[in-house]
Amino acid sequence: MRSTIIRPVFFNTLASLAVLCAVSAQAADRTIVKLGVYPPSVKLKTAKDRQSMVVQAIYADGVTEDVTSQTAFTLEGPASVRIDGRTLYPLADGKTELKCSYGGKEVKIPVDVVEAKAARPVSFKLDVMPIFMRAGCNTGSCHGSARGKDGFNLSLFGFDPDGDHYRITREQLGRRINLAVPEASLMVEKAVGAVPHTGGKCFDIDSEYSKDLIEWIANSCPKDPADIPTCDALNIYPKQAVLDGAGATQQMTVVAHYTDGSERDVTHLALFQSSNDNSATIDKLSGLVTAGKRGEAFIMARFASHTVGSQFIVLPKGLVFEPTKEKPVNYVDELVLSKLKKLRMNPSPVCSDEVFVRRIYIDMIGMVPTREQYEKFIADKSPDKRAKLIDELLQRKEFTELWVSKWAEWLMMRSNNRVSYKAIVLYYNWLADQIGSNVPLDKMVIKLLTANGGTFSEPATNYYELETNNLKVAENVAQTFMGMRIQCAQCHNHPFDRWTQDDYYSFAAFFAQIGRKQAEDYRERIIYNRGSGEVRHVVTGKNAVPVFLGGRQPDVKGKDRRVVMANWLASPENPYFAQNFVNRIWQHYFGIGIIDPVDDIRVSNPPTNPELLKELAKRFTESGYDFRKLIREICNSHTYQRSTKRNKSNETDETNFAHQSIRRIKAESLLDIISQVTHTKDKFRGLPLGSRAVQISDGATSNYFLTTFGRATRETVCSCEVKMEPSLSQALHLLNGETVNGKIKSGGVIQEYAKKKASPDEVITDLYIVCLSRKPVEEELAKLRPMFSDPKNYTKACEDVFWALLNSREFLFNH
Amino acid sequence: MGHKNKKSTSCNPAFFRRLSRRGFLTVGAIAGTGLTLPDLFRLESARADLKDYPNFEGTAKSIIHIYLPGGMAHQESFDPKPYAPIEYRGEMRQVKTKIPGKLFGETLAKTAQVADKLTIINSMSHGEAAHERGTHNMYTGYRPSPALKYPSIGTIISQQFGPRNNLPPYVCIPNQPNEFAGTGYLSSSFAPFSLGSDPANSGFKVRDLNMYAGIDESRFATRRSALEAVNDHFKKLEKSDKLSAMDTFYERAYSLISSPQAREAFDLNKEDAKLRDAYGRNTAGARMLMARRLVEAGVRLVNLTYGGWDMHSRIVAGFKSQMPAFDQAFSQLVKDLDQRGLLDSTLIMVSSEFGRTPKMNKDAGRDHWPKVFSVVLAGGGVKRGYVYGASDATATEPERDPVGCQDLFATVYHTMGINSDKEIMAPGDRPIEIVNGGKVIKDVLA
Repeated sequence: MRSTIIRPVFFNTLASLAVLCAVSAQAADRTIVKLGVYPPSVKLKTAKDRQSMVVQAIYADGVTEDVTSQTAFTLEGPASVRIDGRTLYPLADGKTELKCSYGGKEVKIPVDVVEAKAARPVSFKLDVMPIFMRAGCNTGSCHGSARGKDGFNLSLFGFDPDGDHYRITREQLGRRINLAVPEASLMVEKAVGAVPHTGGKCFDIDSEYSKDLIEWIANSCPKDPADIPTCDALNIYPKQAVLDGAGATQQMTVVAHYTDGSERDVTHLALFQSSNDNSATIDKLSGLVTAGKRGEAFIMARFASHTVGSQFIVLPKGLVFEPTKEKPVNYVDELVLSKLKKLRMNPSPVCSDEVFVRRIYIDMIGMVPTREQYEKFIADKSPDKRAKLIDELLQRKEFTELWVSKWAEWLMMRSNNRVSYKAIVLYYNWLADQIGSNVPLDKMVIKLLTANGGTFSEPATNYYELETNNLKVAENVAQTFMGMRIQCAQCHNHPFDRWTQDDYYSFAAFFAQIGRKQAEDYRERIIYNRGSGEVRHVVTGKNAVPVFLGGRQPDVKGKDRRVVMANWLASPENPYFAQNFVNRIWQHYFGIGIIDPVDDIRVSNPPTNPELLKELAKRFTESGYDFRKLIREICNSHTYQRSTKRNKSNETDETNFAHQSIRRIKAESLLDIISQVTHTKDKFRGLPLGSRAVQISDGATSNYFLTTFGRATRETVCSCEVKMEPSLSQALHLLNGETVNGKIKSGGVIQEYAKKKASPDEVITDLYIVCLSRKPVEEELAKLRPMFSDPKNYTKACEDVFWALLNSREFLFNH
Repeated sequence: MGHKNKKSTSCNPAFFRRLSRRGFLTVGAIAGTGLTLPDLFRLESARADLKDYPNFEGTAKSIIHIYLPGGMAHQESFDPKPYAPIEYRGEMRQVKTKIPGKLFGETLAKTAQVADKLTIINSMSHGEAAHERGTHNMYTGYRPSPALKYPSIGTIISQQFGPRNNLPPYVCIPNQPNEFAGTGYLSSSFAPFSLGSDPANSGFKVRDLNMYAGIDESRFATRRSALEAVNDHFKKLEKSDKLSAMDTFYERAYSLISSPQAREAFDLNKEDAKLRDAYGRNTAGARMLMARRLVEAGVRLVNLTYGGWDMHSRIVAGFKSQMPAFDQAFSQLVKDLDQRGLLDSTLIMVSSEFGRTPKMNKDAGRDHWPKVFSVVLAGGGVKRGYVYGASDATATEPERDPVGCQDLFATVYHTMGINSDKEIMAPGDRPIEIVNGGKVIKDVLA
């Protein structure tokens, strides 16, 4: 349905298909390198069970093909299963082997059958609840809506099976079911469309869904025994596919794993979705994927509380492609190039020194190079001059300030009527000290989240004063330090991710015992561990037991729960910690994250290059969370240093880093740079004259320029706080406003030219180098020189050229 | 609830058919030719499949959207229930209006006198009782989705019609009121222009609208050509949507700056003092007068907000302090537009995110209630002196002719000449209808 379309995370703006054919020809190599048989093992239990198989041929050129229907399936061993098409049914107990042969390749997989003759009665949780999800009954727009639909309410995506059982069997005097004539139950008649139903017909009367539903009612609607196994893992196969041309298909199979060790084919019960219907559509009934236009799609299957995905690449049929011979500088390049190769794209070349020097200064320290810095770098002939510059900038205090400012956004450093300006300044200084002295990230986060004491004497405690609702604190911790939005799970299971209400309240339980009290100074508060207090699960009404988000249940008895949580959060045991930060750092240097937005990591918003993200996170963890080292590696890669100019093959790429991207400069840095090049000083509340906007400690401090250019208000932890969109107000302000016009007049740069009697060419060249880090080309000189024709207008001409440069796109964007 | 009138999509087989039809057409178009397709053809095939048709001549040429944030009580304003028990009807009295048999709350005495120019919808209904979700509904016509950000009505109007007389097509007074009034999945070039300060302030000026001190038109022209010289070089090297979006706004800024008529539209001092008094020299008066000036000059949709209506306690005091200024300004706006002959081509919509609970609460206030509430329309081709739909005896549920957000938006777009099932391309070549379902309420059209 439209309203649940997942945000397109892959490159969707597909342009020309034909242009790619221009790349010189290379015959596609279609020898089979691997035959993938899925699932890799089969376990059947009870006569009700079955398993559908999928066989995928992987060719030497990376393309895959669904060859299930051409594969010969034979049993090696006892005939414990019956093979019907591509599906295995149990015949007799025992172990056997399934041999799958295609194109000269052979794969054998183990098959294990138990209780082959035993019937399995229909279970409410294992069979009926999944039908509600599959048929869409419990979605938000149907009966899953908070108020139900047409008088019948189910829990959204089935987060409350017991409640659903009650509503089906007890509400409305039980008229929803008819034990005497099960097929005449209202619930069945509605679903099969035998009586008018707002939601229409959901399945056929003779479908398996309908039969299971009727059987369950015929058995008197039993509740499941308390120890019924639950689904603890879900797998979708194949995990990856590269389809050759529109119309190519790939069948999916989905296997659920239960807590009792059993497995079940749930392809017919899973809810399928494609992240990009344009490139790959999935038939919601059969699970058959059909390729569309060139691009990437993520095929997702949801079952019980699990969502899993599979990565699809769709190539134009018969595309020929000559991969680049470029040597990767480091692992960053290797992994990016490997993904580009799969997509049949070549990267853009490395940018010029002039482009590089401006880009790296802005990205590293939020300033442009001065004329001296620019000339020194251009004149330097040593081959490692870029690496040397990167090292030099990493040591600058402005580098630290830039990251402190980012952290201040993530930590919502903003005074309000509860947290005083003084507390914010102390908090900010604490943060600046941590980052400035290169405290490893894990140590810093642990200090922050376990802080106790006064908000003045131990400023890190302000973390718990800026947000005093402990549920919100848990949400903020997940979003800031793990990049996950778990908010939805407060009221119902997350619709697009794995998080359930149990996960939510169990994680929130770590923050249930934070104590807050007044200190002597009326502006100061004290944060401490109360040692008591619980969070109540909204559905069960029971106290939640602390469990790490997506992790184990630790021992918290007699401990400060925050300490237990923080020591796990900032450790290699929690893979999201490192991933989240490398992704945020990556986003700073490329304008887009490997997962984007950076604080919306979820199954249905997968990384565009999972191998790259994993490797970055691994190295970051191994380095002891040394973020300067990570930045050094990123900036030294060709991937960072590429030109923004696209080539024919990567013209459509937006997410795979085949070229650098053009990024508008952030509000704070833009103002700082305008002040830098005009030699003017700004005054912000509480800071000395001449401070830079990036040094603002309190988010409540702003000015018209910063607000208009989308500075983060720091009111929420969301990455969407920083706005980069242009607006009419921005254009008017740059054209007519005080910032550009006033600073040109008051800065004294032009008086300096007049004093030196600089020639028009000297003025223009100097302004170009200062603003754009390049010399003007002859054509530009020729166009601008005539402005100086009347010597009386010298100052005006200087001002006008300066104004034009400060208004130019080349100045406003980092490229 | 917003989706009450459409078939629920997820279990509706017709919906899947429709999707697959589209999928088939697009894929089929490519497969049929047997070609690898150049960009142009790809776009054409996508467009051929898009429900895209030209707009027709609408009755309304512009819209003034007056939004009362917080959720204005319908009982105390446009849908009083004098015969309900006291705990439902509340303490306030009612006034007779120019529509026979129709009553308004007592603080709307002046508006009651222009009721013969209004259409009152008393059966508005949706299912979102949280401010931000309700606001989303009433700015976009869509229920909030976790996956797609929908554009506001102002953005759609801006995208469909573009600027007129050098003025920005979509203006917010004083600022963009909330995130849902923004551009959603559409480009930021369709974002609203915000005045930046309140026209009620003395010395109000739209920021940066006039050239900087000492810069005259010829100097500005020189500067502009210098800027073009600098931009030219970069343009040859770089292409990006972000750059072209910035270019769009520079173009808009140039046309605004260079047109005296356009700039004057923002100047309330050009109004007669008597008229300013008639509107009221306060927030409501100044904003509504500014709105009239702007639509008169060519702005297509003006959004203005007034007051705070989240009256969980002491609702009578709240209405008595905020409504009189609204009453004076709004009634004057209707009269003024009518006298100028602009009312028939200007649609005024007064809305809020939801109404308030039927029963008074313990703090003498009312809480959030989206099940039924009221919206007022005037001009732009809707009936004069008409009441559409009704709530039940206690203003709890719609009694007849419930109006969902989709219906309301379909009707408003219809007056502007837009078929609201027209599709717009969202990112990923995804066609999205301007309004998903919804029927034009024919009965309110004149």
